[in-house]
Amino acid sequence: MAVQSILKYPHPLLKKMAHRVDTLDPSILNLVQDLLDTMQAGPGSVGVAAPQIGVGLRVCVVDVSKSKHGKENNHGLLCMVNPEIISRSGSAIMREGCMSVPDYTGDVERSTEITVRFLDSRTGEQQEFTASGFEAVAIQHEMDHLDGVLFLDRIMSISTGLFRRKSYR
Amino acid sequence: MPHRELTYYAVSVVGADRPGIVAGITEALYRLGCNIADSSCAMLAGEFAMILIISHPKPFTKAHLLEELKPVSERLLMTLSVRHLPQGEQERKENTGEICQITVYGADQPGIVYRVTSALAAQQINIMDLQTKLAGSGEAPVYIMLLEATLPDGVSPETVEQLLNGLKEELQVEIGVRIVTPVEL
Repeated sequence: MAVQSILKYPHPLLKKMAHRVDTLDPSILNLVQDLLDTMQAGPGSVGVAAPQIGVGLRVCVVDVSKSKHGKENNHGLLCMVNPEIISRSGSAIMREGCMSVPDYTGDVERSTEITVRFLDSRTGEQQEFTASGFEAVAIQHEMDHLDGVLFLDRIMSISTGLFRRKSYR
Repeated sequence: MPHRELTYYAVSVVGADRPGIVAGITEALYRLGCNIADSSCAMLAGEFAMILIISHPKPFTKAHLLEELKPVSERLLMTLSVRHLPQGEQERKENTGEICQITVYGADQPGIVYRVTSALAAQQINIMDLQTKLAGSGEAPVYIMLLEATLPDGVSPETVEQLLNGLKEELQVEIGVRIVTPVEL
């Protein structure tokens, strides 16, 4: 499989609701591999959602285990198909950036703890766990992409968010 | 963006608040073919203040800009100021260190902003955003300041905290330092 280029806003697909996956067929496994390759190629990237590489399906990958903020508290590499947030609690503000919206970061409020359920594409099994901290933020950010929601839809103040990005690993 | 070279101006407009200030000024800019590259507008007490960095493909003169903006600002009873930016000044230059949010609040007294910001300036800490408000009652006014600054390499948030701890005692104010870490997702 291959590293795919990341779509940038205002590409229309980034604002569309993605479709549920019916069966874990080879095309989905290929899609997951593309997402993983693309995530690993992005400097400091901790997640990619299918719409970001031009596929309108509810699939995303997340891995905060190598990042400074997530290495102490994570569930490793996550290959999520049809993910759902079952419950959420707490809230905290983080300054987020997104590969689909380059050269801009903004303050976004997210739940600090979420319980997610998804089909794990690697095992074919349903998985459910509670994530917190940076991993919870990353999952919420990637899952937003599946609903056509960008962090720009959630920024709280523009004046504190105009910074060039550097490496955040 | 077109490939024609751009010229930049800093424009500020301040005056008693009323509806239609932003619409009036930006309509004039739109008619001129100006781009708003960066802007911030705020209501401060009863005054409305607009600060804009605008760009326009060359050639474009300050006289031409004033010709359009002056009548509008006069009609709105606003004070207008326009400055041409020398080449390169439109680019944002920042320290590469940590980003800090600093909150200061306490009983109102002269010199809170001055004392805090001069302590920061002495360490080459660059302020990027600063807002203050006077709150509380008339008998017990409370001064509140929130600022965001980038630290130069080698200056840690702990250093900033220590630096400000002395002031906390002396001015009898609360000072909080928080690191803001942008995350790439």
